[in-house]
Amino acid sequence: MEPVISTRGLTKDYGSVVALADLTLDIGPGITGLVGANGAGKSTLIKILLGLVMPTSGSSQVLGLDVATESAEIRGRVGYLPEHDCLPPDVSASDFVVHLGMMSGLPRVAARERAAEVLRHVGLAEERYRPMGGYSTGMKQRAKLAQALAHDPRLVLLDEPTNGLDPAARDDMLGLVQRVGDDFGISVLVTSHLLGELERVSDHVVILDSGRLLRSSETREFLNATGTLLVEVLGQDAQARMGQALAAAGVPVHPRGGLLALDPDPDSPHDVHDLIRDTALDLGVGLVRIQADHRRIEDVFADG
Amino acid sequence: MADPVPSGGGRGPVSGAIYDLGYRPYDGPRNGLGAIAWALFVEGFRNAFGLGRSGRSKVLPFLLLGINLLPVVIIVGVLVFIHLDELPLGYAAYASRTQVLLSIFVAAQAPVLFSRDLRHGTIALYLARPLPSTAYAVARWASLLAATLVFLLTPILALYLGAVLGELDFGEQTAAALKAALLAVLLATGLTGISGLIASVSVRRGFAVVATIAVLLLGNGVVTAVQGISEEQSRPRIGEVAGLFSPYSLYRGAMGALTDERVLTPPTGGGLQAAYFGVMVALALVSLGALLVRYRRLAGR
Repeated sequence: MEPVISTRGLTKDYGSVVALADLTLDIGPGITGLVGANGAGKSTLIKILLGLVMPTSGSSQVLGLDVATESAEIRGRVGYLPEHDCLPPDVSASDFVVHLGMMSGLPRVAARERAAEVLRHVGLAEERYRPMGGYSTGMKQRAKLAQALAHDPRLVLLDEPTNGLDPAARDDMLGLVQRVGDDFGISVLVTSHLLGELERVSDHVVILDSGRLLRSSETREFLNATGTLLVEVLGQDAQARMGQALAAAGVPVHPRGGLLALDPDPDSPHDVHDLIRDTALDLGVGLVRIQADHRRIEDVFADG
Repeated sequence: MADPVPSGGGRGPVSGAIYDLGYRPYDGPRNGLGAIAWALFVEGFRNAFGLGRSGRSKVLPFLLLGINLLPVVIIVGVLVFIHLDELPLGYAAYASRTQVLLSIFVAAQAPVLFSRDLRHGTIALYLARPLPSTAYAVARWASLLAATLVFLLTPILALYLGAVLGELDFGEQTAAALKAALLAVLLATGLTGISGLIASVSVRRGFAVVATIAVLLLGNGVVTAVQGISEEQSRPRIGEVAGLFSPYSLYRGAMGALTDERVLTPPTGGGLQAAYFGVMVALALVSLGALLVRYRRLAGR
């Protein structure tokens, strides 16, 4: 499939810092998480893609349009949610989204309809008629998302949409991001410095480290099962007794926190799940759970 | 985000029943840059009078507008009832007499158009949209210019209507009103450029207001003092040159050259008179140019 975003040797040298170093990247449709620590170059990449910052060298394309020569067309088809505050406090979300829809080229009547529609989708109901200065952080982020969607873009660039949100609001926002990508059919590039939250919503994860591409692959490749099983047991000295019994049965086992991590021989003819069940029954310990150990995106950093 | 109804099938035709509240893509027309810039201009013009903003922000502009028109009402009333054969205050002289009101108006409303977007970070949303930063700056400038012109031209128009209704000489009044309108345009471009530039470098509204009033009124005060002394000392040339250094003294000088109004040290000689008009135009162009440079820098940050 044709990439939504592609960069070739993209470099941005601010003199004192190199924000992006020779970045070559293809991002396809769907939801892509852009992960990196603060200062890894995420915001710089977004600003270059919008044509707001000139790269020192290299080229990039968005939606098949060249950033260097067609940035006005790109900005007409892309929505942007900036990282920092951008809402005037004395304007209602409704008026604000109508105005910004018009600034993206919608005629007034269409902008009104679209504003009502996207505000409903992001979950701002009656409060959309109130000045935004009185909004909670979660509502502000929703209003920011609404303005990014006002003109029905083909792609939205969301810079840290969960920034400053409490856990519940963060979950809501991630759910919204997922809906934008999956239900609205708009491609999403969403950044975060928290790796864990993007593995839930994105199809694809790109990891930047100091302006360099650390890794780019599908989310499920990061998360594929490692073959290790995690077992939790309950009872008097249960964990130690269970561990000894399993080791005696020939399964390599070591404790990991409150769990036992088993690395069964994948070629073994016996099902290790049966062995765990039978051992627990023999010892009289309570078997709480058996689960496959998935990798986490964080492990990519541990791997180096 | 508990949407009780399952969402529609995305970008394709939305299949499902009538209660399906899924996302609907927009397939309608999209405006070009010209229409977008016009929309920004109209919105800015409305905002300058507090329209489309909170109720409180309408108070100051309309109060100033009202006070500015109060003398017109009195003058026209007197004119009609006592049957004067000329206006007690000329069209062009009106702006000069009400310059304090005018200064407060532009000083208070320029930050609405130039500081607000910078202060609240909204500028990032404009810059991420199709309009280039320079077109944004021009649209903002045009909004403030139009608002300032409303402030300056409304009294002229009201006086003119009063004069015509009061059966003063039609041709004479029309010529004088048109001259005043031309002078008002020249004054407004300068005031817009200066106040816009100050507001665009100052994120804090209060600072912009104080700085603009200081530049406009203190500058005029100093120039007026110099002109007064030079006339007193019978060395008017000093005052005539000093008049080039403040928007209001430029306006008075140009008014002295163009009309019969009596002003302090009016410019004498074709060269100096031309210089007054030249400096007014240059002030407008240079300040607008500086605004464009300022926003180009902002965009490239």
